[in-house]
Amino acid sequence: MRKKWSSLVLCLLLIAAIAAGCSGNGNNNGNGAAANGNSEGSTATSSTETGTPVQLKYWTDDRHDQEYIKELINKFNETNEDNIQVELTVMSENYTQSVDIAFSSNQAPDVLRLKSANTAGFVKKGYLAPIDEYLTDDLKAKFGNLLIDDVNRFEGKVYSLANTGLTLRLVYNKDLFAKAGIENPPVSLQEMVDAAKQITEVGKAEGIYGFALNFKNPKQAFDRSIREILSLSGYQGLGFDLKTGQFDFAPYSQVVEYFKQMYNDGSILPGAEALDIDPLRAQFAAGKIGMYLSFSTEPGVYQDQFPTEINWGGALAPTLDGQIKGTSEIVSAGTWLGISAQSANKEAAWKFMQYMYGDEVLKTYHEKGFGIAIVPSIVEQAKDPEIGGMEGFLVGEHDSLWPASPNVTPEGSTYADAFFKYILEGGDVKAITDDLNTRYNAALSKAVEKGEVTVTPNPAFDPAKPQGE
Amino acid sequence: MHFKWKRLGENALFLSPSIILTAALGIYPLLWMLRYMFYDYAGYGDPLFVGLDNFRLLMRDGLFWESVGNTFIYAGGKLLLTLPLSLLLAVILNSKLRGGNLLRGIYFMPTIISTAVISVVFYNIFNSYNGMVNTVLMKLHLISQPIDWLGPKYAMLTVIIVAVWGAVGNYMLLFLAGLQSIPQDLYESAAIDGANAARRFWSITLPMLAPVAQMVIMLAIIASLKGYESIMLITEGGPIGKTEVMYLYLYKLLFPVSTGSPVEQQLGYGSAVGFATAVIVGAITGLYFLLSRKMNKLY
Repeated sequence: MRKKWSSLVLCLLLIAAIAAGCSGNGNNNGNGAAANGNSEGSTATSSTETGTPVQLKYWTDDRHDQEYIKELINKFNETNEDNIQVELTVMSENYTQSVDIAFSSNQAPDVLRLKSANTAGFVKKGYLAPIDEYLTDDLKAKFGNLLIDDVNRFEGKVYSLANTGLTLRLVYNKDLFAKAGIENPPVSLQEMVDAAKQITEVGKAEGIYGFALNFKNPKQAFDRSIREILSLSGYQGLGFDLKTGQFDFAPYSQVVEYFKQMYNDGSILPGAEALDIDPLRAQFAAGKIGMYLSFSTEPGVYQDQFPTEINWGGALAPTLDGQIKGTSEIVSAGTWLGISAQSANKEAAWKFMQYMYGDEVLKTYHEKGFGIAIVPSIVEQAKDPEIGGMEGFLVGEHDSLWPASPNVTPEGSTYADAFFKYILEGGDVKAITDDLNTRYNAALSKAVEKGEVTVTPNPAFDPAKPQGE
Repeated sequence: MHFKWKRLGENALFLSPSIILTAALGIYPLLWMLRYMFYDYAGYGDPLFVGLDNFRLLMRDGLFWESVGNTFIYAGGKLLLTLPLSLLLAVILNSKLRGGNLLRGIYFMPTIISTAVISVVFYNIFNSYNGMVNTVLMKLHLISQPIDWLGPKYAMLTVIIVAVWGAVGNYMLLFLAGLQSIPQDLYESAAIDGANAARRFWSITLPMLAPVAQMVIMLAIIASLKGYESIMLITEGGPIGKTEVMYLYLYKLLFPVSTGSPVEQQLGYGSAVGFATAVIVGAITGLYFLLSRKMNKLY
């Protein structure tokens, strides 16, 4: 009898242990994400305890500015008169997945960092609350020309406002250019091909090559290079024709020909096919690469991540024929913060957002070099950031936001994979281009049919004034 | 032993944890996948029923079939190198060697090192601009130009070498366990009868090891068909798809790699591809069992 009892007790203990384990797992779904972030980041709360404060959760995956954001939040927690306490969680990788899990388990943050790559998805999934009702005339005036369809405005409703954007430039090693006897960074693609060849000829013995890109992921490589070359040359940078509302990769293929030429010349760093962006930067910092194209994040990288002795700079991307017929597209712009549709404290969340979007905060954000301001009134007031090399990346007369291009998934390989294959192995570029046009336009019609994408051709589109002003 | 109804409650209690966990973590996701392979679903909104469209797409999806071809090259290469090598090591380490235990530990080490670490190390060994292999080969004047180990020509060979390095120790240990279960007196009496070492290996070791080897080879086949982690980290399937294996292709459909511009998840089509890959791996494993059934009855 005793035996029986003891085995029953053991059974019950086992079940209790399993149940505890399971419920622990359940919680992890929501908090695992937060824990993820905490391991990388930090939490900032203040302890003004008067009455029951309204608790807000703010999630971000920005790590480069976390000290400053923490400072701002502490200040907000101490000074706001509505008894609002904001808790900051800085996520590491997998931000989007963490947000997905948080929303599906009703543990979503009140305020979220939004980026152009995730905003559309978040809106489609119903995560975000529109902020139109809070937009005063002043705010509309401040951000008015930065409200863009399918970027921060979806079906007429605004979900976020702009703060900073990324400009894209040709990043070049001035020492290597001088050594090869080249005075200025190239303004046309032919000049770029020639410069790459000259630098390689002079430096090859020491392992120095004229050009490189992070071709391990061709899409990432092209979307930071060809995209900019095309937009400055007067074409949308991802192969979409805004005038006809159709994909047309013909201009894209013209740029690809020059890349292929550099590959055939042997001017591209050997092994670039398997290169990630950080190893590329390490090689650039070591003075082994003449030039590449990338975002305005590079000055920060060469200040902190790969401090370098080389003399380098950023210049406008070269264009197809040396003529600037468009504007250099500012990317990852138009969104910063947004409010969760699940938040029980949307008013308070908006008050926090209002504080973050204040002139002083946006101005300092730019001056500290965390991002390049694109809000016109801030651009006017703010001083240049004090980071070496940033001067080449600042928003100038040739930079602007472009209308969003539809995101579709074609059958078969992407434009980046198809063109990269052409660069390495050759083939019939006309046939490749036609095939891409056919597949991308088929995917576009399918997406339009399903109501996932809306396309409005704009025959009067002017690449020199993409926002139509 | 006959079934005792009285103990039904206890049995159920003891079985319930594994049944619940299997159902929640194994069967439910499987049913989920079996359902969604008939849908067009990007992870939000309402899934759209599309019947067999995903499978039609699969049939004409050249990239998928290329990845299947690459998988066979990768798995074949890995198996051809791993199995003989690990058997050889096991046989050597099974003899009374000085420092044998230490060597066992060393050879087994790659199995417990994280794939991420292995991949970074091998990237640094093989990359063509300052990798160790090229530096050494050039110092020895064996080559004049750096070899592009991760380029279209050699990338597959490189990822196979990495895979072999990572797997040999593991299978060596399994073979070693098999070898140690062979009774020593067989060898002794064979030696008395005048059989030399090669003869003993051929007539005793191999046949006695066959049942273990059958399992080891099966595990190796499945692992090599499913392996993609180190490839993802070293080449991401590139360049131009030369090292894209089917599980990596599947992974990219379900968890798209993206920065900057958005890439859509394809959960519906991904489920169909997942089903197809499972069928392929299952068919090959089944075929192997059919062909190797004699290995179980060799003695």
